[in-house]
Amino acid sequence: MADEPEVAPLPQAVVTRKKRLRVSIIWIIPLLAALVAIGIAVQRLRAEGPTITIVLKEANGVEAGKTFIRYKDVRIGLVTAVELSEDYTKVLVKAKIAKHASGLMVQDAKFWVVEPRISLSGVSGLNTLLSGNYIGFQAGKSSESQTLFFAMDEPPIITDQPGRKFVLKADTLGSLGIGTPIYYRRLNVGQVAGYTLAPDGRSVEIAIFVNAPYDKYVLTETRFWNVSGVNITLDADGFRVRTESLAALLAGGIAFDVPDFVPTGAKPAPVNTEFTLYRYRAIAMKEPTMLERRFVLYFSESVRGLSVGAPVTLFGMQVGEVTEVGLTFNQKTGAFRPRVLITFLPDRVIAELPTGQRTRAGRSLADLPPEERQQLLRRVIEEQGLRGQLRTGSYLTGELYVAFEYFPDAPKVKVDWSKDPLELPVVPGSLASIEAKLGNILTKLEKLPLDAISSDVRTSLGTLDKTLKDASALVTRVDTQWVPEGTKTLEELRKAIGDANTAVKNADATLFSKDSATPQDLRDTLQEVTRAARSLRVLMDYLERHPDALIRGKTETK
Amino acid sequence: MTPAAAPAAKPAAVSAMSIGLVSCEACQLLSQPVSEEEPGYCRRCGEKLEYREAGSIQKTWALVMAAIICYIPANMLPVFTTTTLGEEEPDTILSGVAFLYTSGSWPLALIVLVASVMIPLGKLIALAYLLISVQRGSIANNRERTQLYRVVELIGRWSMLDVFVAAFTVALVQLAPLTSVAPGAGVLFFAAVVVLTMLAAETFDVRLIWDTAEPGRARHG
Repeated sequence: MADEPEVAPLPQAVVTRKKRLRVSIIWIIPLLAALVAIGIAVQRLRAEGPTITIVLKEANGVEAGKTFIRYKDVRIGLVTAVELSEDYTKVLVKAKIAKHASGLMVQDAKFWVVEPRISLSGVSGLNTLLSGNYIGFQAGKSSESQTLFFAMDEPPIITDQPGRKFVLKADTLGSLGIGTPIYYRRLNVGQVAGYTLAPDGRSVEIAIFVNAPYDKYVLTETRFWNVSGVNITLDADGFRVRTESLAALLAGGIAFDVPDFVPTGAKPAPVNTEFTLYRYRAIAMKEPTMLERRFVLYFSESVRGLSVGAPVTLFGMQVGEVTEVGLTFNQKTGAFRPRVLITFLPDRVIAELPTGQRTRAGRSLADLPPEERQQLLRRVIEEQGLRGQLRTGSYLTGELYVAFEYFPDAPKVKVDWSKDPLELPVVPGSLASIEAKLGNILTKLEKLPLDAISSDVRTSLGTLDKTLKDASALVTRVDTQWVPEGTKTLEELRKAIGDANTAVKNADATLFSKDSATPQDLRDTLQEVTRAARSLRVLMDYLERHPDALIRGKTETK
Repeated sequence: MTPAAAPAAKPAAVSAMSIGLVSCEACQLLSQPVSEEEPGYCRRCGEKLEYREAGSIQKTWALVMAAIICYIPANMLPVFTTTTLGEEEPDTILSGVAFLYTSGSWPLALIVLVASVMIPLGKLIALAYLLISVQRGSIANNRERTQLYRVVELIGRWSMLDVFVAAFTVALVQLAPLTSVAPGAGVLFFAAVVVLTMLAAETFDVRLIWDTAEPGRARHG
């Protein structure tokens, strides 16, 4: 290697260590932890719903972090803060709503504080005794979301259950309140949802809610009446006590029904239909839209006991009522007379007729032209004698009513058709007619020829006296002529009996005297018989003890 | 990583690595390595010899980071969900502390606060401090830092107290429907924090603290 080229001093090669992966695999651990943590955070954030503010009057046990908002008993939110409003008059409750319920926070959603509530119609919210109060929620129908709500003071009775709302108009609220039950044939079918005074302040508007299966029974013709408390009526129909149920007695209630006269197939009432709330059933069930005819009756007796509303009957069926009781004054005679205005409802009469006659008679009663109606009335009143009469409906209270019946014997009258209201003829009332009859009897008594009668009586008495004297003479004759004969007969009879007595005594002496032989013999015979009986008893005793003696004979006693 | 064949000038601050020797991490036997790249195995106990644990700082950092990440949900998520008469009530560690404090038992509150909140946090801070100081090549307080490391390692095994309590409570209080206790996700994260900090303390090579005592060995990892 002589020709080995000269080499300049070259740089020394270095051993570089294999470049190792600088990032350790252990970084996977924090990466993983971060991923999990971020995942949970994202999930939490996504599950987070809106935060809403509820305005309350009082906190009522609502606490931050403890009080939930519940809807259908599902927690849909949690109160996060409770603070006073800026002017210190209200309580602002901030609540975090769950994501799944965020769609419920719409404009007409309702909130209220649920606390234990005890009322006459029930106890509610008992679960809050354990869990503490919570905020109730009712979904709204609006689609506009909202974050500020004003809580209600009272829980809404009607949540989202199906049914219909109606409005009742009443003079007074009475003992009704929110939650007062509504009855239909004594079934609890709804409740009072609220009440407000009418804008004019003259009536009360009561909002009621009838639950779903029953709301279809509320027809346009349905009548509502108050069943609160006990309804005691004392009128010509007697004494009536009515109450719907014990709960209604205590807490009040409203009942409804459809009057019988409403034809079947009436339409269910639409939502928010306005009804009148009547004071009691009888008033409610009256037909207000019926054809009415007004008549006036002038009585000549006291109308004490006849009150407005007293029934007017036709052969016992109620066909109208008394609408006014007053007096009338006759200028010419200067006499006062009671004046009774009655309302006659032809439809009531039609309703009592059999179905076949209804339309025809109904036409004549209701729809006939005035002349024909007059004709009908004339025939009924002037020819057949239909008259009004005051009658006592209840002897206990003295309530009167007006009855119409035929009185064929009543004096004939002429109806004055020009008057309005038409005057109908009357006959004195039942009490008055009794008085009249008594008067008649007295008058007849008065007319009796008492003087003539007394002289006749005197003559008769004279004759009687003579007759009696004759009778006396007859008796004396009997005494003197017949009686001695009888005495003699009796004497003889007594003698005969004495003889018989002696004969019997003799016989006795003969038979049973000591000297006679017959008794001695008889005594001996009897003694014999006694002895025989004794030996027979001995034999029987022996045989009983030794029955073998019958066969073997009597053995010697050892 | 540069080996030095020459004997150290200052005996007080001499590390085994600086004089070309390697100490066993398990039995502390000082050996002569086979080669610089592959120091071989301990003659006495068979442990794989390493001058310094490979990537110790990086690994420790990773575990500390993971523990810090887990520490957040561990304190924010409920550790228990107590159901009393149908009412569920989730409790985080801090709400439990607050409850204990407001209900009057402040010693218990203090214990829970120290054991469950302060100690894990302290461990994380301590480990982070050690790592940063080693990385910066700090030469101050070497002895104190080593002591700090010992403390961190020591309390690590006592940190699972909360998890044990949770496990016991959940197992014992099952009086359904009156009362029942269900573990929350917080417990899992809490356990993860404890395990990760323990691993981090284990991964940290305490010898690194002393490497910086020698000039020119500022950076490792």
